[in-house]
Formats: sequence, C-alpha cells, structure tokens
Amino acid sequence: MDGEPLVRWYWIGDHLGYLWGLLADHAVISLVPVLIGLLLALPLGLLCTRFPRLYQPLAATFNVVYALPSLAVFVVLIPYTGLATQATVMIPLTCYALAVLLPTTVDGLRAVPDPVRQAATAMGYGPWRRLTAVELPSAVPYVVAGLRVAAVSSISLASVGALIGRGGLGYLFIDGFQRTFPTPIVAGIVLVALLALVTDGVLLLARRVLAPWAGRETAVRR
Amino acid sequence: MIRFDGAGKRHPDGTIAVEGLDLTVPAGRTTVLVGPSGCGKTTILRMVNRMVEPTSGRVLLDGTDVTELEAAKLRRGIGYVIQQAGLFPHRKVIDNIATVPHLLGWDRKKARARAHEMLELVGLAPETAKRYPFQLSGGQQQRVGVARALAADPPLLLMDEPFSAVDPVVRAGLQEELLRLQSELNKTVLFVTHDIEEAVRLGDQIVVLREHGRIGQVADPATLLAAPADEQVAAFLGRDRGLRGLGLRPAGSIALTPLDEPFAGWRLELDEAGRATGWTGHGEHRPAAAFDPGADTLRTALDATVLSPVGAAVAVDGDGRAVGIAARAAVLDALDALHALPPRDEAGHGR
Repeated sequence: MDGEPLVRWYWIGDHLGYLWGLLADHAVISLVPVLIGLLLALPLGLLCTRFPRLYQPLAATFNVVYALPSLAVFVVLIPYTGLATQATVMIPLTCYALAVLLPTTVDGLRAVPDPVRQAATAMGYGPWRRLTAVELPSAVPYVVAGLRVAAVSSISLASVGALIGRGGLGYLFIDGFQRTFPTPIVAGIVLVALLALVTDGVLLLARRVLAPWAGRETAVRR
Repeated sequence: MIRFDGAGKRHPDGTIAVEGLDLTVPAGRTTVLVGPSGCGKTTILRMVNRMVEPTSGRVLLDGTDVTELEAAKLRRGIGYVIQQAGLFPHRKVIDNIATVPHLLGWDRKKARARAHEMLELVGLAPETAKRYPFQLSGGQQQRVGVARALAADPPLLLMDEPFSAVDPVVRAGLQEELLRLQSELNKTVLFVTHDIEEAVRLGDQIVVLREHGRIGQVADPATLLAAPADEQVAAFLGRDRGLRGLGLRPAGSIALTPLDEPFAGWRLELDEAGRATGWTGHGEHRPAAAFDPGADTLRTALDATVLSPVGAAVAVDGDGRAVGIAARAAVLDALDALHALPPRDEAGHGR
C-alpha cells in the first residue's frame, strides 16, 4: 500500500448509494437475528423459569453453538439455505443472539426479589400470570442489557458473512484487502462502528421508556 | 374467624415446622403470634392463605377448609403484608395499591379511585401515587404495602413482621397507624412478630409460641403480663412486666379529689384557662405533673405521681384543663383494685 493514502474521499463520494445499500443490508442481516432471538428468548426464558429443569440443557446447547466459529457454520448451512442468501447468515446469528439472551432473560426473571414474588403469590396471582405480570416486566433491564451485548456482537459477526458472499459492510473489507485499497476498509469500519453506536443508543432509550423505575445500569455477564 | 384444627406442617425432609396446632382467631380482632425465630409462626400464618399446605389437621376459614378453596381466589380475599413490603418495583404506587382490585376484574377507574382512597387512609400524600417504590422511604413503602393489602376490602388481614425492617421511630408511627385503622375497620388481623412489645401494643389476643408452633399461652395482653402461664413465658415477656401491664390499664379508675382542696399543705395554682401552673405551700412554689384520665393509662398516672415533687398528680382533660387531683395513694388504691384487694384502711396498710 505504498503511497496509497488511508482515505480517498472521492471514492466515498462516488459510492454513497452503494455504501448506503451495504449499510442497510448489514443492519438487516445483523439485527433481525437479534430480534428473532429476543422473540424466542422470552417464551423460552419463561418456560425455563416455570420448569427449571429445562434451563441447563437448553443453555448448554446454545453455549455449544456459540462456541462454533461462524464461518464454519455458514459453510455447513450453504447446501441447505444457499450461497450468499440472508438465511445462511441470519440462522447462526440468531443462535448466537439466543445464546446471550436466554441466560440474561432467565437471570432477569429470577432476579425478582423474594418478597416481591411472595407478595405477588399472596395477592392471588397464579404462576403463569405472575410470571408475565410481575417477573417479566422486572426482567426488562436485564433483557435490554443482554440485547446490547447481543446486538453489538451480531453487528460485528455479520461482516464474516462476506466470505460466503453475504456480509453487508463486511464486503468492503474483502474488497479493500484484495485491491490493497484501504479506503473501503476505513469506510466499512466507520459504518460498522456507527451502526453499533446507534443501535446501542436506541436500546438505552428503549430501556428508559420501558423501565423508568430501574437504575441507570444493570450489569450483564458474558 | 379462623380455626386451626390440629393443623401441622412436616417438611418433605421430615423436619417439623408446626405440630398439631389448635387455635381460634376471633373475627374483627387482632391476634398476634409471637415467639422466637424458628417457632413456626410464619408457617402458621401461611397455612391460612395456602402458601403453606398443612400436612395434618385442617385450617378453617369461617367454617370452610381452606384447601377446598381455589388458592388464587382465596388469596384475593385475604390482605397480606410482609416485612420488606414486597412492592412491585415496576409499578407506580397507585398501581401497586390497585393490584387486587385489578385481579378481581374491577374496572380501571373504580380500581384507581379506590387506590387513591387507600393512599389517603394510610396517611400518604396524594402525589405519592405517581412515584415508583424505589423513590419511597422504608416507612412509606410499608404504608403502601398496608394500603395494597386493604384495597379490595378483605375481611381478613395477614401481617408477617410488617414493621420489623424500619427504625424504631417509624415503627412506632406505623403501629399507631395500624391501631387507628383497626379501630375504624375492625378487620380480623393475624399478625406475626418476634417483638413482645409490639405484640402487647397491637394485640387483642396474644399467642405465645414455642418451637414447632406449640402454644405457650393464649391471653389478652394485660392477663399475659400479669399472669404468665409458666417460667418460659415469663422469661420471654422480659422485665418490668408489672409496670408494662399498667400501661394497658386505663387511668379512669383513679379517685380524684377536688381542685380547691389543699393536698398536704400544697394548693394547686391555675391560670385563667384552668391549666395548672404549679403548687404553692410551705412558702415554696413547685411544678406540677399531669395525666389525662380519659386517655392515659395507670402507668402514666403512676409516673406523674412519681415525678410530682409534692406526691400528687394533676388530672387534666383533653384540652389540658385541670379537673382534679390524684394523690399517689389514690393511684396505689387503683392498683390494689386490679388485684381485688380490700381497701387499704381496712387492710391495715394505713395512709
């Protein structure tokens, strides 16, 4: 890359539409899996809290999936879901999101203080109604904390999809690398970071709206 | 009315929490279960609303075995207050209070209106309604807990050490408030505490418990303090039982002498409003100590005569106007009457 400047601004100017398209694709393939993960984690979390024996096997399964390298999973999926399709990238990302969100949801549901749980029972809540009316809302700060971790990691992992032809902004890294042309790489990094920042901000805002009764921060493991 | 009919609870691991309890909790009164930790008092309380199922015997609520009633429905008809209040952290105070009306399917407007009434009833400012529990002090949270328990107007209230987690000053205020509420509402209250002072203060009937929920004594507070069933109960009651017992007897039985009658050479001075300003006599002026026979107890009256530098206390009305003089001997006569002793003169004590 001798003599090549880090950023050639004209390239960016010429490719605004192209960059926007990649950004939109990246947002879809990284964040839709988090959303699906959330929609699965909530009922699974409720089930695991109601029937605690389910939790360990389920959590272990998703942990194993989480340990698998994303590229390997993409490649394994190609024969079934096709090369360069959204599904091939989004299925593993959904599993990763779930691996983060299931434990945080269960932690949140279990974090309801004992006196609160007992009071709810004594007021005449049945087990399911108590879960959805008392424990689930109380879990919101935990779930949002989990969402923040899952979303940012999904945004970063989605780039890997570029290696099988569907990676949103990740394509810019391959492109720049192959042409020893750093401008797309820099643009990609900046856009990925921006996407992560905006997503995180939206989640923080959602938390303030959904759980105004909670403190500023809730720690999350992982 | 609640009746425990040989009710017992044995845990699956074989340990016994409560063994064969026979007890009647009368309607419209406050019954306090008191005993050291581990005596099974909370277990007994929870057998009533089926949070603990008895493994032997029965618990009858107005004649019906509670295990024959659907648990959730049964609980909606019973108010429940616990130590840390257990307010729902994600709901505003007003929605916390409206919990049971909401569960009972009242319409939202009616439930809210009721919750606002309850807020006022327990002495909280209307603006508290919009706060979240974490924005309240411990005492305020406990008041909300009581309001929540009362919201659907249940005839029965279960209270499990509700005031143990707040400081003594706040606790005294909450106890006062409960006495006031109870004098208006006449609920059947079953109250659990480890604090004998609290039991004596709040209970119409006190049940002293030993390990495994065995009953040491069931009595009204004055009887309990005056005549503990045995050494163990006496030890649990602690020191100064006699004096503390006087704190439960009204001072109205003390014979008063007229204000204008001098007492041992001292004459009571009054201002224009009729309030005592002190005693004069023997070329001296001494301060007066007073009690209200209509509101105070024998303990307060005795204390006033002990404090008084002339040996007699001034009886005053609710506005502080002097109505009579109570000699120390007259207070002692009232104490004698408690034990049905013959009058002092005839018994040869002399005055």
